[in-house]
Parts: sequence; C-alpha cells; structure tokens
Amino acid sequence: MWRCLIIEDDAVNAKYVADGLRELGHSAIVCADPVAGLQAATDQDWDVVILDRMLPNGVDGLSILATMRGIGRKTPVIVLSALTALDERVRGLKAGGDDYLAKPFAFSELAARIEALVRRARTDATPAQLAIADLRIDLVNRRVERGGRQVQLQPREFRLLAYMMSHPRQVLTRTMLLEAVWDYRFDPQTNVIDVHISRLRQKIDAGADRPLIHTVRGVGYVLAEDPEAYLGRQAPRR
Amino acid sequence: MSEASVASRSLLAELRTLFRSVGFRLALNYGLLSIMTMAVLIALFYIQTIGVIKQGNARLVMNSVHRLENLFDREGREGVAGIIEQMLADGAESDNELYLLLDETGAIVTGNLDAVPDLPSNRERVVERTVSRAGNGVDAAMIARRLPDGATLVVGREMSDQRSMERLVERALAAAAGVTLLFIFGGTAWFRAHLESRVEAIRRTTLGVGAGDLTIRVPATSQEDEFARLDADINQMLDRIEGLMDGVRHVSNAIAHEMRTPMTRILAGLRTADRSDSTLEQLRDANRAAIREIEALTQVFGKLLQIAETEAGTRRQEFEPVAADAIMRDVVELFASVAEEQGVTLVDETEAGIMVLGDRDLLAGVAANLVENALRYAGSGARVRVGAARDGDDAVLSVVDNGPGVPPAALEQLGTRFFRLNRSLPGTGLGLASARAVVKLHGGTIGFADARPGLAARIRLPAFDA
Repeated sequence: MWRCLIIEDDAVNAKYVADGLRELGHSAIVCADPVAGLQAATDQDWDVVILDRMLPNGVDGLSILATMRGIGRKTPVIVLSALTALDERVRGLKAGGDDYLAKPFAFSELAARIEALVRRARTDATPAQLAIADLRIDLVNRRVERGGRQVQLQPREFRLLAYMMSHPRQVLTRTMLLEAVWDYRFDPQTNVIDVHISRLRQKIDAGADRPLIHTVRGVGYVLAEDPEAYLGRQAPRR
Repeated sequence: MSEASVASRSLLAELRTLFRSVGFRLALNYGLLSIMTMAVLIALFYIQTIGVIKQGNARLVMNSVHRLENLFDREGREGVAGIIEQMLADGAESDNELYLLLDETGAIVTGNLDAVPDLPSNRERVVERTVSRAGNGVDAAMIARRLPDGATLVVGREMSDQRSMERLVERALAAAAGVTLLFIFGGTAWFRAHLESRVEAIRRTTLGVGAGDLTIRVPATSQEDEFARLDADINQMLDRIEGLMDGVRHVSNAIAHEMRTPMTRILAGLRTADRSDSTLEQLRDANRAAIREIEALTQVFGKLLQIAETEAGTRRQEFEPVAADAIMRDVVELFASVAEEQGVTLVDETEAGIMVLGDRDLLAGVAANLVENALRYAGSGARVRVGAARDGDDAVLSVVDNGPGVPPAALEQLGTRFFRLNRSLPGTGLGLASARAVVKLHGGTIGFADARPGLAARIRLPAFDA
C-alpha cells in the first residue's frame, strides 16, 4: 500500500484520482489548498505526490515541487498539467526523476505512471542483469536468454525488452513504451506499439510453456510470470 | 423652460452635431483656409492697385508745383496767378486740379478753393485732405509751398479717380468674397453629403453585420478612391469572418453530431441492461461498454482541446532547433514493422541536415499521423515514400503514397476537424486537424496534392540555419 498525496483544487478530478487509487488498495489524501498541500508534502512521508499544475491564487504546482526539492524531499512527484505537452519546464521533470501527464488522462495511464515512479524510487541503480522466470537479459553484453536458449533481438527490440524487464509486473502503457524506447512522446493513433510488442513476444514467448508478455486490455502490457494475480488489481476498468 | 431657450438649445445641439461631423469639419477647415488665401491675395491686389494711382496723383501734384515755382522765379507772383487762372479756365483737367495762391497775410489771391486748408508748408511730401471747392467737399492730394516773396502756393489734385477705383476694387472684392463664401458653403455641404453617402454605405453594412447578417457586403462602386479601397478591405474582412464563423458553426455541429452517436449507443446499452431480470454479468458488461465509449469520447474532447490550444499557439518561444530529417527517419523506423505487416513498402528518402525550429514530439506526432494515414488508406502493395528536403528557405517534409488517393474535391477538406474520407474506417477525424494546427504553430503550411496516383502530403516549415 502506498501513501498518496493529491494536491488538486478541482474536487471532481481529485475524487476521481483518489477513488481510483483507493480502489487499487492505496491510501489517498486530497489537499485542495496549495499552502496546506506544500505543508503536507514537506512535513510527512509519502510514496508519491500527485500535483496539479494550476492551483488557486495563481500558484503553479511546479513551485511546490521546487520547494520540496529545495529542502531535500525526494518523494516522486507526478505533475498533472492542463497545458499541452508543449511546456519545456514540464517536460524537464523527466530529468529530475519525476513525470507529468496532460489532462484529460485515463486513470489507467496515471496509475501505470505512478507505479513506475514509485518502483523506480524504491530500486537502486539498474543492475547489469535482469531475470524473470526463465528469461534473462544481460544489459552489458546485450544478450537475451529464454530457458537457456539464446534469443536474437534487433537493437530496438532489445531496448523494449530491457525497459519491460526493468519494470516487471508493472502495467506499461503504449505511450510509456514509446517514450522509453523511442524517446518520443505522442499518441499513436494506430497499433504501432502492438506490432512491436507482438514481434518481441514471438521471439520471447515462442516455444515457451508459458507466456511472459501479457496484454492488459485497453491499457498496455505487463511482463510477468503470473499476470492474473495482480492484473485484477493493477488494471481496474475505470 | 421657455420655447426660445428650447429652440436655441436644439439649434445648439444641431450645430454641435454638425461640428462633430468629420466631413463638415474637414470642409470647413478647408474653406477657412481658402478664405484666408483669398483675403491675402485681395489685400495685395488692393494695395498694389490703389498704390499705383496714389503715386501717379502725387507725381502730378509735385510736377505741377515745381512748374509753378519755376514760373515764379521767372515771372513773379503775377505770372503765377495768371497761369493759375488760365489753367482753371482752360477746361482741361480743371475739374481735378486744385490751386490756391495766398499773399503774405494769408488772403486768397486766386484759386478754386473756398478756404485755406490746414497744410504744413514747404514739405516735399503730398498729403491727403478733404477741402472745400465751390461749396463741395472734395478729397484731394495736396501740397503747400511758401514762395520766396512770402506768398503761399497750394497745389492739389482731386482723388475722385482714385476713390472711384477704390470703390470699384472694393465692390469687385466684395462680390468675389461673396461668391467664394457661397462656393465654400456649398462645397462644404456637398462634400459632407458625399462623404456621408460613402460612409453611409459602410455603416449600413456594418450595422447589418452587427445585427447578425454576415452575408451582406458594402456595395461596389465604380470609383477607385480611398473609400473604394476601404470597402474592399471591409468586404475582405467580412469574407474572412464569415468563413471563420462557418468553420466554428461546422465544428460545433460536428461536435454535436460526433457526440450524439456514441451517446445514443451508451444510452441504448445501459437501457437494455437496466431490466429487473438482468444478470449481474449483463449489468457489468453494459457498464464496461459505457465506460469504453465515454473514454473514447473523452479522448476526442482532449484532442479537440489540444488542437484549440495549439491553434492559440503562444508557446513558440520554447522551440529549439531540431533535426527534422532524424524525426522522419525515426518515424519510418517506428512504423516499418506495421508497414511490413500490411504489405506496404515504407521508403526512407530523407536528406541529411534538415533543421527546423520546433518541438520534436509535436513534429514526430504529425509525421506519425501522416504515415499512419498513408498506411491506412494506401492499401496493401503500396509504396509510401517519406522525405525531408530543403527547398530554398524552406524545409519540406513529405509523405507520398501511390494508393488510391483522395478525390480532388476532398483535398481541400483534409485537415478540417471531423472530416473523414471514409466513415466506415475507425478514426476521429481529428488527426490531420491536429497536424495542421501543429504545423501552423511552427509557422509552416501543410498541403495535400494528387500524387497521380496516390496522395502527397507536404509540410513546409521555415528551415533553421545555425
């Protein structure tokens, strides 16, 4: 269970996010006032802060983030922005270990991004080797093995698998994959990511007794041995 | 309040209205300027004409007095008296000539003046006096001289010719001033009426447009003056406004239409499930279907908002130099496997070093959109060529397919919100609209042309040179 702080003055949107997080089994506190929000964000420990960009009295959510970082708070923050993805300052968040999402967003996208943020904050430096079930990836020598058998991957497929392996058992949305693997952030209108996944899947899961790459309908993909256990938890249909 | 004060007040109000008229003020100012010019001209003419006559008279008087003084030197007082009498009797010019000879005591010796005028003697200058001759006052230019034997000689010349000339000039000037004033007032009135009639046409049009009729225009005139140009500008502006209004109306109609279909589907699904004998599973399915539909709707609205925000375009200052050719190549690479699955050949024809000032993600989104469209509509076996090239000061990004293309009539409509060529295929009809907004934000244009066969989409952006 994560402790989530939502700093957002729009009651409807705050409730939408809070209810969704509670449904996933987390605790969520809503702060509508920027001052109280800043106080809560700096005084208490949170697993993640969900911060709206436009707060009452002309306060920019980014100033709260700056204050938090200024006093050494490393809590992961996801910024909700009603502005389009054109703002360089918002985009710069990714460099600081944070993330942003433009309104309106699907809750599943927010949930997936929060999960990635929280987990990244909890893991230490990326190890040279990753493994899940009988799938192994060597990030240094760029080798992939499934059940002891070596798998040949194209460079882009390798990056895709490496990203999924470093976020195991997490739902990864198509935009997250496009962003992490191709370094572009836009919404593809077609199934372009699905085709890449299906090619990777053919190489990884072909001939294996059980698949590791699973589709989460309407949301994205997850890499896991036993997806059923948390697919119900991770991807509520909202 | 008395009637008189009411009348004077309404007159005042009318005058004030008149003075507020630009046409009246302009014409009046112009008229005043003309009057002043006229006045200066008239004054100069008057002074010159009268001056010449005056000088002539003075010269005659001086000549006459010098002659008489010479005569005195030769023939003495009697000789002078005799010649004066002779001159006054000869009838030639005797009406105009005035002479008077006085002895030492001031008694009149001879002459045609009734009394001795008050004149300074022995001056070299002629002065003007009104003197009495045969009981009549006459205006005259006069001079008085003391002769060596103590007698006083007064010589003068009646100024009747000067006076009549003065009167003539004055009358002519008065007539000219009257005619000028008449012309000025008439001209002012005509000018004002003309101006108002031209302005009136514009006012009628703007009032009509203000009242909501966007179809009316300022009527065309045969003239080619400032007003005709203004008319043309106003009409052009109205054309543009009408076009924009049509666009807005079309968009809101389209939004209403696009909303109604999924709304109807959602309602139908929920109503069907909302029966007493529905199973939990049926209810849940209906709920899920409704959520899916609403999520899709939310996406459409998000996209619309994004287009609107992009069109508002205030964030251009955050743009950086980006390699447009690299973006196009990345998009080709991203879509290569999709193209392969659909049996479409995706060809990379980008040239290196095509830089533009822009936003990498937005431009990639546009390129992806064009490639997605080409893959979707060109069909299996087609070739889609993706290019980035330099054309003069422009960077040209292109996606050209050799599929069935788009009917010429529809080429213009590509990029209009909710315009979809084939409604049976999935899509929101917002992709190209969004692309167009992004390209516009980058200061460029997006154009669609017949590639014979196929569709050629070309984006022109100002190239960036470091």
